[in-house]
Amino acid sequence: MDSTTPRKGLRSAAGPRASVARRTRLLYAAAGVAAILVGWQLLSLVVSPVFVASPAETARALARLAWEGTLWTQLLITLKRLVIGLAIGAGVGLILGVLAGLEPRLRSFLEPLRWVGMTMPAIIIIALAMLWFGLGDFTVIFMVAAIVVPTMYVNTVAGVLALDRRLVEMGGVYHFPRKLFLTEVYMPGIASPVMAGLTLSTGIAVRAVVLGEVLGAMDGIGHAFSRAMSYLETSELFAWIVVLLALMAVVEFGVLRPLKRRVMRWRKVAE
Amino acid sequence: MITFEHVSKAFDSLKVLDDLSLHIAADQIVGVVGPSGVGKTTILKLITGIVLPDAGTVRVAEGSVGYVFQEPRLLPWRTALDNVAAPLRAQGLDKKEARSAAARWLERVELDGFEHYHPAELSGGMAQRVSIARALAAEPRILLMDEPFSNMDVTLKGSLIAILQGIIKERQTTAVYVTHELTEALQLADRIVELTPDHRLRELDLSDRGAVAREWLATTLGGLKV
Repeated sequence: MDSTTPRKGLRSAAGPRASVARRTRLLYAAAGVAAILVGWQLLSLVVSPVFVASPAETARALARLAWEGTLWTQLLITLKRLVIGLAIGAGVGLILGVLAGLEPRLRSFLEPLRWVGMTMPAIIIIALAMLWFGLGDFTVIFMVAAIVVPTMYVNTVAGVLALDRRLVEMGGVYHFPRKLFLTEVYMPGIASPVMAGLTLSTGIAVRAVVLGEVLGAMDGIGHAFSRAMSYLETSELFAWIVVLLALMAVVEFGVLRPLKRRVMRWRKVAE
Repeated sequence: MITFEHVSKAFDSLKVLDDLSLHIAADQIVGVVGPSGVGKTTILKLITGIVLPDAGTVRVAEGSVGYVFQEPRLLPWRTALDNVAAPLRAQGLDKKEARSAAARWLERVELDGFEHYHPAELSGGMAQRVSIARALAAEPRILLMDEPFSNMDVTLKGSLIAILQGIIKERQTTAVYVTHELTEALQLADRIVELTPDHRLRELDLSDRGAVAREWLATTLGGLKV
């Protein structure tokens, strides 16, 4: 390749080999899902239905919850808390992370708080939240946000510190105003670790919201799960597990991955 | 246009420039040559103000500065067009106007058709041409170039030097061109100063550029007859 020949990245077709590889991966993934379902079914045949509901019983419970409207009501409550808590936690973590990444003194100042935030078990955070705020929306949202902030913060700081300083110097030479620095250098430059942080935070947030609702709320999927467990309504319990997994799947495959693809599409070219 | 008065600069304990004095008049193209590590890049950074002298003063006339770095330093997440447009947006142009001007500059460096390519899709030489277009798009009063052709083959280098020379003369830009390749400086510069490892500055006599080139080649190639 001479010095005038462009490297063909995104512009060239993916090629039949890439499509075959992708189809093969999907096939294996589908086989994995099938294996889980088969394993689940087999387990339900040998274990008492008090402990393990079968896929069929779970599906029936799911249908009933959907028909009654309970599924949608609780799902919306949990989704609301998840989205608000995640937005606040990710937003605070991102802003603090960018500032701390740029300012070593602030980073040192926040380090003990970062350590406390990452070390504190979730159960302690919900207990404190319940003590301070009682039961309800605010408690759960607070818990989700408090758990998400350290993860987003750590990833954002790492992103800022890893940013190519030569690009920052280039912006300085051309007197980029602050807004242009943010939009053209910093935000795209830290997008990859921030997206990784967001993906991690979302998983943590879903677990946190369910835990928060089990202990600190009178509604939501977590509370419904807890109630089903108390009454040994195992098929309903399993139905709520499926709802939770479906929620995570929608968030990850329907929101996070497309967002990551959009934000990181230039990376595909580089690879 | 640019004046260094008794400028000294050290990084940690390593002295890079020592009592340097240099004046560059407006519209001149000055080549700064010397081996690696003598402070050539430091001179450029002092002109931009991103590095400040430890002693002495650097005076630079008002006006925008364009900088062609040794490596392209393109934003990997932006297209060639948006990379060239960035300094124009920094100057206050809106995105549409900046992109329109950027497209014209990409054409000047013979990269029309590659506006929407990302840096990873471009060869090293093409990426450096985008960097040159970016520096020129700002219509700088002062153009600084730090070994801009170090990753290029001879043919491309020759054609780019010709393009640059044309644009610099047309726009009456003051240019400072840093290189360790004297032959490049001889093609482009009106004046050439040499920085030596013992921090001395020597102005080269360019009345016979051929002789200067032969002398340099002889020194560089050792005992080979030229």
